[in-house]
Amino acid sequence: MKFSYNWLCELVEGLDLDARRLGLEITMKTAECEGVTSFGAHIAGCPPDEIIELDNKSITHRPDLWGHLGLAREVAAILRKPLRDPVKLERIPAGEGAVGVAIEDFDLCPRYSGLVFDNVTVGPSPLWLQYRLEAIGLNPINTIVDVTNFVMAELAQPLHAFDRDLLHGGTIFIRRAREGEFLTALNEETYKLDRTNLVIADANGAVAIAGVIGGLDTGINERTRRIVLESACFSGSSVRKTSAKLKLRTDASMRFEKSQDPVNTVRGLARALELFAQVSPGIRLVGGLADQKKEIAPPEPITLPMDWLTRKLGREVAPEEVRDILERLSFGVTETAPRLFSVTVPSWRATRDVSIKDDLVEEVGRMIGYDSITPRPPAVACTPPPDNPQRMFLRAVRSALAAQGFTEVSNYSFLSEERARQFGFDPAEHVVVANPISSEQGLMRLSLIPEICGNIIENSKNFESFRLFEAGREIHKQPAGLPREVPHAVAAIYSRENGEQNLCELARAAQCLVPGAEIRPAAARCFEHPARAAEVVWRGEVVGRLFELHPSLLTGRAALIDLDLERIQRLSAVEKRYRPIRRFPTSAFDLSVIADLRALIGEMQKQLAGLAGEWLESIEFLRRYSGPPIPEGRQSVSFRLTVGAPDRTLSLEEVGAIRARIIDGMRALGYELRI
Amino acid sequence: MLETTLSQLEASARERIAAAATAAELEAVRVEALGRKGALAGLSKQLGALPPEERARAGKLLNAVKAELEALLASRQAQFEQEALRARLDAEWIDLTLPPPGPRPGSLHPLTQIQTEIEDLFTSLGFAVLDGPEVETEYHNFDALNIPADHPARDAQDTFWLADGNLLRTHTSPVQVRGMERFKPPLRMIAPGRVFRHEEVDASHEHTFYQVEGMMIDREVSIAHLVYFMKLLLACVFRREVTVRLRPGYFPFVEPGFELDIQCLICGGSGCPVCKQGGWVELLGCGLVHPNVLRMSGIDPEEWNGFAFGLGLTRWAMMRYWVDDVRLFQSGDLRFLGQF
Repeated sequence: MKFSYNWLCELVEGLDLDARRLGLEITMKTAECEGVTSFGAHIAGCPPDEIIELDNKSITHRPDLWGHLGLAREVAAILRKPLRDPVKLERIPAGEGAVGVAIEDFDLCPRYSGLVFDNVTVGPSPLWLQYRLEAIGLNPINTIVDVTNFVMAELAQPLHAFDRDLLHGGTIFIRRAREGEFLTALNEETYKLDRTNLVIADANGAVAIAGVIGGLDTGINERTRRIVLESACFSGSSVRKTSAKLKLRTDASMRFEKSQDPVNTVRGLARALELFAQVSPGIRLVGGLADQKKEIAPPEPITLPMDWLTRKLGREVAPEEVRDILERLSFGVTETAPRLFSVTVPSWRATRDVSIKDDLVEEVGRMIGYDSITPRPPAVACTPPPDNPQRMFLRAVRSALAAQGFTEVSNYSFLSEERARQFGFDPAEHVVVANPISSEQGLMRLSLIPEICGNIIENSKNFESFRLFEAGREIHKQPAGLPREVPHAVAAIYSRENGEQNLCELARAAQCLVPGAEIRPAAARCFEHPARAAEVVWRGEVVGRLFELHPSLLTGRAALIDLDLERIQRLSAVEKRYRPIRRFPTSAFDLSVIADLRALIGEMQKQLAGLAGEWLESIEFLRRYSGPPIPEGRQSVSFRLTVGAPDRTLSLEEVGAIRARIIDGMRALGYELRI
Repeated sequence: MLETTLSQLEASARERIAAAATAAELEAVRVEALGRKGALAGLSKQLGALPPEERARAGKLLNAVKAELEALLASRQAQFEQEALRARLDAEWIDLTLPPPGPRPGSLHPLTQIQTEIEDLFTSLGFAVLDGPEVETEYHNFDALNIPADHPARDAQDTFWLADGNLLRTHTSPVQVRGMERFKPPLRMIAPGRVFRHEEVDASHEHTFYQVEGMMIDREVSIAHLVYFMKLLLACVFRREVTVRLRPGYFPFVEPGFELDIQCLICGGSGCPVCKQGGWVELLGCGLVHPNVLRMSGIDPEEWNGFAFGLGLTRWAMMRYWVDDVRLFQSGDLRFLGQF
């Protein structure tokens, strides 16, 4: 929202701060000033101006600040200067209005006021008026429209002028639109309306979308001689809904949706009446004020205890100072008991902004300046916070992977349907974004893998080899309620060639998260190397997958591991108990198993261990060998087994018996053994 | 007569020990002089022929020479051994500047790092670190935070809506609500995490970024306490004292609400492109928890007070590391991420 410094000077008597310093004061006490820029040149009657721009987001709660007078009130209060109110209500004569007003629902339209003028001349506005509008970014159009815009910019009260001769009948209806009712607006767009939209209508149909935009057919033109000037108050949320639905934001709708002050409608008309007389000579008011309104009870006074205020602010403010601040801001203050104020709220702050004592903390706080409050640690009970084991675990996972040489990446939670399909996921199983930025990002990820693959391919353009990982959430759709968000870690090792080594190193690195995990070969998914895919089994559950990325997907080779961190964390929670260190010597012997080339070493190891029995201390894979004299298609795999009893040294005979048992057992399982 | 021979023998042995160039030569000297068939042994055989009183004296003399030569040989021997060791170790020279094999060290994402620091600070101050879902209900993201439907504040947070009516959280503030639902006051918590805004992506806008939310609820909580914690937070992240200012800011879930600015760290407040010449940089939003928010979570605002704050971690990371393109954080580009 742009404010003209010259305009503010007219409204605040003796304003002597320059625009820049004023901007800073406003920032510190009222709302964020985004900058001050110069406007204009030396044209007679148009002195150079400075434009103070406030951040719209910082005034969404302040309907009054959408006009110069509202900001002038703040400035006057901050600088202790008198305010010049430009509105002369006495200009509106008594008497019946020359147009009827019928409001269907006072909740949607708490007040509708209007004046009728004749002998109107429509032409270009005088230079001063055009200049002022241009300074704050509004386009001058003609005398009538320019005055309505001027009043809006000054009082935050949007006005609208209808050509009286183009209206049918003598009554203006404020009603819900009929289902399927159409209106062509001043922007020459035609809108299809429904029951949720509020319209202004004449006997024939809608002539404006209430609070948003006027109709084209009843707009002001060069031939206009009589006008109806509307100054109304509409429900903020209704205007907002309509404006959002029609995707049409206007200067009027932006103000109405903040919940404007119903008292302001007649003030707007009085101001317009005065300006019309200046810019449209000969114009005549017909009749008096047409005004329909819901009786709005004045807001309940707010009880403000001084001690409570002190506790909130964290410093004492003298009651006289509190009173002075609130009165400067136009609040009414009565001391109902010692250190207890009863505060009434001015109408322009009462619609949404100020209604409870907490709101008054802000009024006092901002005026004394928050920098006058000395920071202080609280005196509170010293208790340990509840812990968050999930987060601590996630942290440990990240640190462990980084220590193993993996660099952490962070990817979007979105993916496209096409990408989901490419990875064999059914788009229907995903959580769907209703309003994605692009169709590339229409689904919520069900796996971190697709994006990690993207990372691998991109980085392979710059690096010969690398390791990376992401720890993030998979989003799993549920039949009802919120999706399940499952923390996963995906780690990858890439190199130009030698995918086998990548897989080995990845399996080794994973040992830091799932020590002793078993790798169990599994059927490959479409993006996995068909002969290099496995499940990771830990403590009896499948906790992830280890695989090589299908080599057709990239140049080079990449091994990936995908771990379900929720499951791993759950399985990690086992009590550890010390096992006494063996006091008696152990015996070791080596065995070589001759097996098919694709026989699984992990399987053999399990079988050997099973046969060795309770005295097995450890089993260690030594080497594998294929080639002469081992027959073609076979391999020799050597293990070292160590056995021992906890309470004595095993005799040679006992060790020999274990060994013989294993050999017989393995032979029975179909293996050949080299002894 | 024997004495003369002995002293000649000693002198000659000393000379030859000194002259020995290798361990083998030294060994030859030892065998010749002190060996079983060596010169000293030969002389000692002659002792028997001497008269008894002279035999004792000559025997002593002989033993003294023997001991002296042995010591000399041993010291020379040690010298050779040391030289040999030195030579062997010298041969083991390697180039320590040779780049070590194996993977280069990995690193944590800059946002993870900065987030960890903040978590540690607040944990040390007795705050819980809480998590909430990234997919949220409209109630937790908006309504329970005093942002009813059709509230203009919803505009400030362009929202990704899901087909099922839920949404992607636009801030970490819903975790406040979940915290209050889960724990009874007093409560101190922070909630770092990923948030989403429906926004086109460019060098300074992202639809996916990170925030930290914080909240304290206790019987006596004031603006003075809020500012105290904010200054600790800033000193932790920027690793130095920073000058802050608190000004009015509007967030529906706090009252009063503030924007907290720090004096620009780049120009020290004199004005530069980073602070858009203003000398101050907007860093976080905060305020005293709105009584409606407390009430909606079943906490009596007459009994309990609170403050809350929220900050954009991504923006802080950009400031700390001088990153000029926000897209880099989600790029997965190791040329960027490898720098942290």
